[in-house]
Amino acid sequence: MLSEREVISTLDMVRNEHLDVRTVTLGISLFDCVSHDVELFIGNVRAKINHYASNLVTTCNEIGEKYGIPVVNKRISVSPIAAVAAPFGPKDMVRICQALDEAAVEAKVDFIGGYSALVEKGFARGDTALIESIPEALASTQRVCSSINVASSKAGINMDAVALMGRQILATAAATADKGGFGCTKLVVFANIPQDVPFMAGAYLGIGEPDVVINVGVSGPGVVKKAIDRALEKGRQIGRPLNLLDVAEVIKKTAYKVTRVGEMIGNEVAARLGIPFGVADLSLAPTPAVGDSVGEIFQSCGLSVMGAPGSTAVLAMLNDAVKKGGSFASSSVGGLSGAFIPVSEDSSIEAAATSGFLSMEKLEALTSVCSVGLDMIAIPGDTPAAAISGIIADEMAIGMINHKTTAVRLIPVPGKGVGEKVSFGGLLGEATIIPVPRGDSSAFIGLGGRIPAPIHSLKN
Amino acid sequence: MQKLSISFLGKDGPGIVATVSQGLSDNKCNILQVTQTILGAEFAAIFIVDVPDDITKDFLQQRLEDSLRSEGHDISVLIRQASEGAWSSKRPCQPYVVTTDGQDGPGLISTMARVFARHNVNIENLKAVLGHGGENHALFVFEVEVPEDQDIGRLNREIHSAARPLNLSVSMQHRDIFEAMHRITDF
Repeated sequence: MLSEREVISTLDMVRNEHLDVRTVTLGISLFDCVSHDVELFIGNVRAKINHYASNLVTTCNEIGEKYGIPVVNKRISVSPIAAVAAPFGPKDMVRICQALDEAAVEAKVDFIGGYSALVEKGFARGDTALIESIPEALASTQRVCSSINVASSKAGINMDAVALMGRQILATAAATADKGGFGCTKLVVFANIPQDVPFMAGAYLGIGEPDVVINVGVSGPGVVKKAIDRALEKGRQIGRPLNLLDVAEVIKKTAYKVTRVGEMIGNEVAARLGIPFGVADLSLAPTPAVGDSVGEIFQSCGLSVMGAPGSTAVLAMLNDAVKKGGSFASSSVGGLSGAFIPVSEDSSIEAAATSGFLSMEKLEALTSVCSVGLDMIAIPGDTPAAAISGIIADEMAIGMINHKTTAVRLIPVPGKGVGEKVSFGGLLGEATIIPVPRGDSSAFIGLGGRIPAPIHSLKN
Repeated sequence: MQKLSISFLGKDGPGIVATVSQGLSDNKCNILQVTQTILGAEFAAIFIVDVPDDITKDFLQQRLEDSLRSEGHDISVLIRQASEGAWSSKRPCQPYVVTTDGQDGPGLISTMARVFARHNVNIENLKAVLGHGGENHALFVFEVEVPEDQDIGRLNREIHSAARPLNLSVSMQHRDIFEAMHRITDF
């Protein structure tokens, strides 16, 4: 027999606190699809995706209905295209990207990730072709996401790639200028990219992964916020006000519950599709809906707004507590697993950025203690490529030195400047353009080469 | 030995279980299963008991009523032959939790129960949480066993359409999700 508390708590989480499974992502290796002929390669890719993904959406919906927990997004991640399509040039890469887009439409998934290259130590032929193709590829497709890993703690930072990505981000924005630089919402630059991320835009299937695999991204910022609010209120009522140790405990327990939901649903989807279950990604992923925000958690913890002094400390505590609770809930934890702070996708973070409480500098500081990085930030369309590269280099350095994943997803909005708004629609939300740090980075970026990997001893 | 089901219903108070269990023990009856609950001021319990063949139902009922009365308890006793095998153990079923939430009023439980009956769904536990969500609000929690040959999607749709005229919010979730979220269990 269930207790009242168990039933009511679950009901409240689903109805009022936006508890859902944010994404079930089907990873598909494309290494057995390789060919010297691009049309043959595309045919193999389409056939393999169709074979494994045709029942993904209906299966997720059925299992979501069974447990009363919606699976909001169903997605696909594939092997890095730069590796599996290495013989082809940029024009063929665009054609492959379009085929992936068509495969996503056919499978009824909202995004497919893996238009990716791993170039932290240097460029192979396929990497160069893929990166060159990005602006046209992302402008001519809707559902394909691209990620480029330019740095790692073992290899250092490929500064030639950083310089190139600064230019390609601007070119992608220009190629999608009619939609506010929308192409850049599907393009992310990484340090230490995990091989099993289920979340977009960074999802791709690493080469150490199984042939096919189900990875799950849980959600739950709204659930965490309400749990903190309830605990604080109860503490006041019984005359024992909570301290931060208590708050961390509340977050940890809530993360446990949320992760159990994700793992259970992911396992069942995997079993029904006859595919192994990979990981649950514990990330707190917000949406633009009020009450589904990571930013609001800062207010529950006593800050007037995210960005106020103390914000980095709150985020560090939040991120760590989520990992602790989630790790106890599942032995298959992976991906990014932390708190996301995507500016346009979180109404509270967006409001803090618009009102000037969250600057690029403060966002960068926050990324040193959370996942993923500078995410979904709208910047002026006339930002020089070298400035974008400089921001990427800084963010990559944080990831490289701290042995963590960091990433940059900036949207230079063509024709718009600081204070103007841009809307991307749906889960991508809207953002006010914020200023980038002043100063000229062009000579530094022009040096090129590689920032060497950090020493792994003499820690301090 | 004969297996009997003995039900007790009446005004709650300390000492009922002590009197009943002593009465059973005095008559060499072995308690196999027991469930007991309190609703408001009312006590209810069902005992499944192994009873020696030479003790009749009427005799045992008389002895238990006498001892309860002599201890000052106002409790009715009903004894019958115990049925064999739980309903859900005779057919493959899946456990679901259905909740209805909204303004309290007549006909609410019967509306839902009729849908369950039509689909051969057995209510295993039913609980009302009054006042949840505001004054005159009622949350009903039905723990049910749904035979595996039933169409879950259709049942879900019928539950929702039955609840709509009563302005009730309804949910139907497999029980495992509650276990997974709130309980730590072994493998």
